[in-house]
Amino acid sequence: MRQQSGYKNRFSSYLLSLWVILTVNFLLPRLLPGDPLAALLDTDSGSYVFDPAVRTSLEAYYGLDVPLGQQYLRYLGGLLTGDLGQSIRLKQPVLDLLIKHLPWTLLLTLTSLSIASLIGLWGGSEAAWRRKSTLDKALVALSVVVSNIPAFFTGMILLIIFGATLDWLPLSGGRTAFARYDSPMAALWDYASHLLLPALTLTLALLGSKFLLVRSSMIGVLNEDYMLVVRAKGLPPNRAKRHHALRNAILPFIHHLAAHTGFALTGALIIETLFAYPGIGRLIFDSVVARDYPVIQGVFLVVALLVLSANLLADWLTVRLDPRLREI
Amino acid sequence: MQNWLPRAAELSAPDKPSALRRILHTTLGLEGVVGLLLLLFFVVIALFAPMIAPHDPNDFTGRPLERPGVVHPLGTNDVGQDILSELIYGTRVSLLIAVGVAIGTVTLAVLIGGTAGYAGGWIDNLLMRLVDVMLAVPRLPLLILITVLAGAGLAQMTLTMALLFWPGLTRVIRAEVQRLRGRPFVRLARHFGASPLHIFRRHLLPALVPLIVFGLVTAAGRAVAMEAALAFLGLGDPAAKSWGLMMRYALNLPGLLLTDRWLWWLLPPGVCITLLILALTFTGMALENRIDNRGQTR
Repeated sequence: MRQQSGYKNRFSSYLLSLWVILTVNFLLPRLLPGDPLAALLDTDSGSYVFDPAVRTSLEAYYGLDVPLGQQYLRYLGGLLTGDLGQSIRLKQPVLDLLIKHLPWTLLLTLTSLSIASLIGLWGGSEAAWRRKSTLDKALVALSVVVSNIPAFFTGMILLIIFGATLDWLPLSGGRTAFARYDSPMAALWDYASHLLLPALTLTLALLGSKFLLVRSSMIGVLNEDYMLVVRAKGLPPNRAKRHHALRNAILPFIHHLAAHTGFALTGALIIETLFAYPGIGRLIFDSVVARDYPVIQGVFLVVALLVLSANLLADWLTVRLDPRLREI
Repeated sequence: MQNWLPRAAELSAPDKPSALRRILHTTLGLEGVVGLLLLLFFVVIALFAPMIAPHDPNDFTGRPLERPGVVHPLGTNDVGQDILSELIYGTRVSLLIAVGVAIGTVTLAVLIGGTAGYAGGWIDNLLMRLVDVMLAVPRLPLLILITVLAGAGLAQMTLTMALLFWPGLTRVIRAEVQRLRGRPFVRLARHFGASPLHIFRRHLLPALVPLIVFGLVTAAGRAVAMEAALAFLGLGDPAAKSWGLMMRYALNLPGLLLTDRWLWWLLPPGVCITLLILALTFTGMALENRIDNRGQTR
């Protein structure tokens, strides 16, 4: 199947993807109908940039006065030095904005991915072990339903219940504004209590498909002959489950995890918007309103790069974990 | 003498299950029935929106932020438009996008996947490379970028989504076409000198119908979710207000969640989006089961 195409081949495919992403990012604002970039500099248009300093920097960044080929080279050269242009709205370099907001998004995404993975692995293998029991059927039905509810709607419900009605948790933000912490514990609690609801929302959005995937690949493994041997030689069920079944069921899971990074980051973008969490999702929301193209382009690039790296990492990891793939 | 009566009834029972049972167990399954009924419900509402809705959703029929009452069953929004009517007309927007994206996605997937699977060789390699590359690009950020640059028109968003959604289904269609190409009836048709177009129309397309229907439903579900996410970020066609955009406008009101206003303004569109996505997912699951079963009985 896919593995047969070879590791090197996949790598070149990723390089190609990278080039396509960079090029698409360059071409979109220049080639789309309506000429959005020209509108920024056109006194008659609605999106005219009034600040002369910002206008000059925009002109310089997009380089609209030189031919397209030259603009492209300049764009690629700028990327190498981390030049992603300047935000129209905030008048700061896009790179600085990304560096400031990205850690929050990574915190939210990685926390949720880890929790969802742990629960998915545990729940999925238990459900597969007890296949066709009432519990298994109920869990499958529940995960199908929950993973189909849009993340922002789940978040809204949680926000209404825990934030607004019960008033247990803060409604928005990443930490209390202007807070001075008396102890490290107080600081930790402040960050954690702000993270809890967004992370719970994202975890719920990610959990269903992880559970279903682990369950089905576990069922596949449990039907293998070697599991019969494991049972025949009398291993205790827990050992058979964890050391023999789950271990073999984990490879598809790693690939799924990589493929799911994009989904998780995208979910984080939406959820941050709802909870006013200060990650790149919040950044993109504010930029959409202000038609701040350089920032939106920067966010697109960063998310695309993260997704590509996650896939690369997963390929490398599966080859490490599964010696059968190494010879290819 | 009396003993044989109940036994005969028992014997005949498995032979003649009721029509409902037959649909539930063999044809569609529970999820298929629930999914299709929900879909039907939304389609009816969309078709008869002008008759069902109490007001024109664009008319300012009340004072701003009225509570639910007789005239406005779900109250009014911040500019005095009837929320229930907005909700009913919103069904049209969501379904329009769903249908448009589904048709666009499936057309592209059948054309590209069919070409790749049937032609093979370097054409196949090239097209599948393209699929790999496209699948590695995160969809929503790209969609946001394009929508911000090109404007949030309904047609534009539909087209963009179709252009982003085709690769996944293309892979499935290509695999199926590859499989069908080697089957005797296609080989025979080729030997008799049928043109690729004829073979495609006459022999491949009918065999692809189950996959095509499945693809339509899946793409539609994704489109509804994606449109809602975009609208939630404020990227929607204000001229055709969708459920997602209703929620966005509601959330734009400061302190909405601190009053009970969310109960009739935020919750109904959220429930509608969720139900429509679930309906499409359930229908897709039922179709998937049928496609799988069909493979087994062969």
